[in-house]
Parts: sequence; C-alpha cells; structure tokens
Amino acid sequence: MSELQELTAAVEKGNRKEAIRLTNLLIEAGMPPMDIVETGLVPAMSNVGEKFKNNEIFVPEMLIAARAMKEAMAIIQPLLTAAGIKPKYTAIIGTVQGDLHDIGKNLVAMMLKGANFNVIDIGTNVPPEKFVAAAKEHEAQLVGLSALLTTTMPAMKTTVEAFRTAGLNTVKIMIGGAPITQEFADEIGADGYSPDAASAVDLANKMVAA
Amino acid sequence: MDRSYYLELAESGLKMPIGTHLVLHEHADAEAILLEGERLGSVVEEAARTFGAPMAIPVMDLKLEKEALLSSHGVPEAEIDQFHFKEAPEQDWAVSATPRMKATCEAISHVAKNGEFLPVGMGIGPFSLMTKLVSDPITPVFLAGAGSTAEEDEEVHLVERTLALAMNAILPYLEAQIKAGAKAIILCEPAANMVYFSPNQLAESYEIFDRYVMEPNRRIKALLDAHNVDMIFHDCGELQNEMVSRFATLNPAMMSLGSSRMLWEDAALVPNDIVLYGNLPTKKFYSDSLVSQEDVRQLSAELTRRMRATGHPFILGSECDVLSVPGAEATIKAKVEAFLK
Repeated sequence: MSELQELTAAVEKGNRKEAIRLTNLLIEAGMPPMDIVETGLVPAMSNVGEKFKNNEIFVPEMLIAARAMKEAMAIIQPLLTAAGIKPKYTAIIGTVQGDLHDIGKNLVAMMLKGANFNVIDIGTNVPPEKFVAAAKEHEAQLVGLSALLTTTMPAMKTTVEAFRTAGLNTVKIMIGGAPITQEFADEIGADGYSPDAASAVDLANKMVAA
Repeated sequence: MDRSYYLELAESGLKMPIGTHLVLHEHADAEAILLEGERLGSVVEEAARTFGAPMAIPVMDLKLEKEALLSSHGVPEAEIDQFHFKEAPEQDWAVSATPRMKATCEAISHVAKNGEFLPVGMGIGPFSLMTKLVSDPITPVFLAGAGSTAEEDEEVHLVERTLALAMNAILPYLEAQIKAGAKAIILCEPAANMVYFSPNQLAESYEIFDRYVMEPNRRIKALLDAHNVDMIFHDCGELQNEMVSRFATLNPAMMSLGSSRMLWEDAALVPNDIVLYGNLPTKKFYSDSLVSQEDVRQLSAELTRRMRATGHPFILGSECDVLSVPGAEATIKAKVEAFLK
C-alpha cells in the first residue's frame, strides 16, 4: 500500500495521528498539496459516504473520519493558501431560523468539505437575510438549508423566497432534515433535496455542475 | 401510583395524543400563557379535555433545563440557546428555577387541585441534556466507547462533566414538579439513539450506553420511586432492540416510542406491566401527501389490530409531542381527530 493509500485508509478509520503523520510525510516527499487532497483525502471521505449510505458505518464513524481529515487539512490548507489555490465551489450552510439543531447540518458541512468545497457554516437559527448576505459576500454557488423541526420548515420557504427576491437566481439551494421531503423542496422552490449527508455531496456536485 | 391505573387505561382502549402544544397555539398569546401558571394549567386541562385524555400533559419543551442551568451560571439570556461549553466547568453551582419552570409547576398544581385529570410532569433525560451543552457530543461518546477516559481525553471529560451538571438541573426540576403534585413524569431521552451511539460499537459492548444513559436514568427512577411517582419513558429516536430492552429495565409505567419502531415487535422486548404508547407518525401530519387522514385511519386500525394480537397493554397515540406547525394547524388537528375517532 502506498503512503497515499495509507493516508486514505487512516482518514477512513478516523486515525488522526496517522493522518497527520502521513500528510507530513507526503508533503516532505514533495507531493503537491492539492494532489494530496484530491487523490488522498477526497477519496477517503467519498468512501466514508458510500459506507454510510450502505449502513456499514454510522454517524459517529463519519465524524471520527472527518476529524482526521480536518487534521490533515490543517496542515495542507496554509500551503494551498500560499499557492493561491482555492476550492472551485463555495457553499453556505446553516440551520434555518427558529431551529437550533445542528447534527445534520454539521454532517453535510463535513462531507462537503471532504469533497473539497469551500464551506461557510453560518450556524443555527439563521434568519433568511443572513443566508442571502453570506451567499453574496462569499460568492457562493450553493446554499444548504437544514431543519429538524416541522415547526421550522416554513422558515425554509421564506429563506428560498429571500434568495429569489434578492435576485440570486443562479445560487442553487438544497434542503434537508428529518421532516423534509422532495415534495416539500418542490413546493417551496428549492433546487434540490437530500435525504442524508452522504447523498448531499452527490447532489451538490450535480447542482454546481449543471 | 398503582400500576393498574395505566393497565386499565390500556384495557379500556384509550387513544390520546401528546397534544398540548397544538391546543396552546390556538391561543393568540401562547408565549405569554407559558409564563402564567394558572392559565397554562387551564390550557393543559383544555388539551386533555379536547382529546378525551385522562392525563394532563405539559408542553414537551426540552429546553427548560438547559436554560435553568446556564442562566444560573451567568450565561446571558440571548446566548443560552446556542451556548456550548468549550471547557469542562469543574465547579458545581446551584440551579434556580426559571419563570417557565415555575409556571409549569404552578400549572401542575392547578391540575392537581382541580382533580379532573392526572397531573403529569415533564423533563429531559440527562444524556439528551448533555448533548445540548457541548457542540459535538457524538465524537467523545464514541471515543469513550472505544476506551478513552476522561483523564486521557478533554472531550470525554467535557461530556462526563456536563452529564453530571445535567443531573444538577434535572433532579431539582423533577422534585419541584413532584412537589407541585405531578403523579407521573414523562422523561424524554430522545438523544439516546443510533445517531449518538454507533451500532458497530454497540455490537461489541453496551458499556458506554449503560454508563451514559442508563445509569443517570436509574438515579431519576429512584427519585420518582421514592416519591411514588410513575415514570413515562419517551424516546422517539432511532433505536436498536437492545436499547428498548434496556429502557424497559427502568420499569416505567408507560413507554413512548417513535414511529420507526414496530410496537408489536417491541411488545416481546417489554414486560407486560409496561404499557406501550404511540406511535403514529405525527411528525408527518403537517403534510397531506406524506400522511393523509385516510392513512391515519388505516395506520391506527393496523397498529391497534397488531397490538391487540400481541396481548400487550397498549395506548394508541402520537410518536412525540404533536407540534403546531404554522399554516398546517388545521390539517394536523384533523388527523389527530381522525385517529381518536
């Protein structure tokens, strides 16, 4: 197994010490940082997403893997920044107004980062205007809205409306959360719906490529 | 109380939702009512009367204990909802009841004084409260399950300290509700589920689940037993069978589970003196395409038929608090009425 494959395996297992060691090793060996991301870390999180979809692993294992990836990225990110390399796509993500739940939102953020999106997490209980302002400020291509409660689902509708009113029609809006359905997404004019964090990455990639 | 009270309710074919939120929000000043004990008590009674329930059940607001714990620690009111401890506080502090808690206790007293309904209290479980006090509880719970100790890992230490602090907020509030006249307490532990505990890890050992969920809840059960108050255990999360079996060892009078559970299968996991309650998919009642009134009628009939076949005591009801969703109030209430008919 090559060191790059070992890095992928370490991240998948959530072994952060190994992930740090191998990332440093690959950098010292002269591997371009973006190559480490694209051929070592992104495949790791992609595998994690697949295993999650297949019920081979569960939320805790995803979080442990993401933590290992985060440690590796903490080493790589300064090198990418110094070289002027940025992720191709930016996503704004948050839980809608009135809702304080963040597990789903955090999982989607983590998986998008794992797919090399620049993710701006604006937290929970986010009013529509804050989503719009963040999308403008960061020139986002994608916005993710999360809600766990049926009582806060209407806030998704007002957030989508706020984007349309602001004329940000090219920004793709995806929604998710326990009570959310594709039908609800269609009803409020969202561009997409994902039933889980792993599928959210597939959806996000399709949406930004469209 | 005598366990036969609940068994006889089940035997009578009782159907009831946990529906106070729905009725409360029919009042224009719902938020104000939550702070006025007498009026809140009247609304809780109104909900019981509306749905033909013998129990007067408070609103299932699981943020009260967090608010009490943090406001007593000096966290500004505006920051409480989103506040998470970054470091484990090493000192304990006295937790004072909030105005909402006081109003809930007054509402229970009101119900107890009137005597028309069984006064029921409400509280969050310790594990679920802990998950609201730290930003990422899942990772340290997993690490603890993998053998990391509080001495070795700061995050594990944070989880264990906040779990202890959670008890400092929960126990006094339960005692206050009991003192106010509650004869049963709905203890809500929705975070004790397969999101917070990896099934892969649990397949190897339930030690961490026992230590973080069961042990604190056993302390609560002991408190309730000491006051002759019944536990109604509620967990609407995604559960493994083993979790249900372990919850049953708390010996609650009733067990309320989410709609992901097949209650007729759970009947084999739960002793016959524990009434199973639920578990219609009320979280989907807001949408006619997800669940129509006809679906509700069919689901109710099927659940009732299957539970009758098991012979297990059962009360048909909601999977959780039936929340009033703005814009969908009428359809939700119509579906509640559909299963009550």
